Amino acid sequence: MNRIVEFELDAILPSQEDVLLDQGIPDAASASDRIQALLTNALDSFARTVHPVGMISELDAEEFEPVFRGEGENAGDVLLERIYPRADNLALFALTMGEEVSRCIEELFAENEFAPGSILDSIASLAADSASEVFETDFFEELSGRGLVSADHFVLGYSPGYCGWHITGQKKLFEFLEPGKIGITLGESCLMTPLKSITGLLVSGKSEIHMFEPGFEYCRSCKHRSCQERLKRLSAHKPSTA
Amino acid sequence: MSLLEEISTLLQNGDDERVSELTRKAIDEELEPKEILDNGLIAGMNIIGEKFRNHEIFLPEVLLAARAMYAGMDLLKPLFLKEGMPSIGKVVLGTVQGDLHDIGKNLVGIMLKGAGFEIIDLGKDVPPEEFVNAAEREGAEIIGMSTLLTTTTPMMTKVIELLKERGLEGRIKTIVGGAPVTEDLAREIGASSYGYDAASAVERVKELVG
Repeated sequence: MNRIVEFELDAILPSQEDVLLDQGIPDAASASDRIQALLTNALDSFARTVHPVGMISELDAEEFEPVFRGEGENAGDVLLERIYPRADNLALFALTMGEEVSRCIEELFAENEFAPGSILDSIASLAADSASEVFETDFFEELSGRGLVSADHFVLGYSPGYCGWHITGQKKLFEFLEPGKIGITLGESCLMTPLKSITGLLVSGKSEIHMFEPGFEYCRSCKHRSCQERLKRLSAHKPSTA
Repeated sequence: MSLLEEISTLLQNGDDERVSELTRKAIDEELEPKEILDNGLIAGMNIIGEKFRNHEIFLPEVLLAARAMYAGMDLLKPLFLKEGMPSIGKVVLGTVQGDLHDIGKNLVGIMLKGAGFEIIDLGKDVPPEEFVNAAEREGAEIIGMSTLLTTTTPMMTKVIELLKERGLEGRIKTIVGGAPVTEDLAREIGASSYGYDAASAVERVKELVG
């Protein structure tokens, strides 16, 4: 499996509730009519300016090992190092929301249109996250079609820069995957352009290989805590006994 | 309701057109520009800041109010040409070298400006020397640094070390913030303060200049 994918807008467009939550508004009912109107306009702007595309390429654990080692700057005990050797299938991925939407956000801020700019930024970030979930699902289905997963399998993505996998891992990932083909470039500090881009490793394996206690040293200073949501998804994943 | 109270209320409602209109009216009625700024625009933004801290309003409402404030300030700026726009402090702000994420930094700048600070926004991917040079050149009391990446937090340390090297540590204080930055990290690298979010950054900067 080695392909470029153009994402359907409907598959990545975040819900209004999620965008509002990202803006610090806990329930949609608390949003004024004016905020609702800003949100509607921002969703329209996003639809006009987003060019969501991604690429995915399968590899084995041996091929992934140098990508994981990167520049040798990983933390001492990295979550992913405990997971990927136990995986049944692996794939590297890169995806982007494109340059135009990032430019649009910058222009809005430059014109003092702070609220629309901030809302559009939330939409683009959430859409990028959704696109990586689309890849998780697609990879699972692809493997399923080839008879390589069972009901107790789960696919999750892991990205450089998180959970002890140092962001300099991006360099080797870019060498392997070549995301320049879909317009993503890597800067000196391993930052991607366009900004709303995500890279990572998709890991397919039995649910239990993804489970962990967030007690690593780097967990103490982590403010993301998105792992909690992922662990919840894993716990809710009840394999069929059929 | 006085004209300035009306400006403050309209600003809180994020009505930039009416704020602009009434600021023009206040200028035409020969109210002191500093009075319009302090008792109209900044007074309104202070209430907005407090409501935001108390979770009575949300980020988009703060940003709409900020836009209205900027609309009023645009009219006042030319009247302060000689002595410059009055401020309660000068802050050099930027996203550190190697990082292009500037949404958080922009929000902090908008809210600091709303609280009456003068902002020298250096933008993103700012080298350590540029932070220090700009603060020296502009006579700023504070350097505010933001980053979203774990790899670029050492750039914050470099700025703080550079201030020490040039003997500016006592005069120019630093505040750091961004996704990978914590209170502990700020303390560890020797920053004067830490902003968890834009609202807390404003409070901390006020304490630093207080």
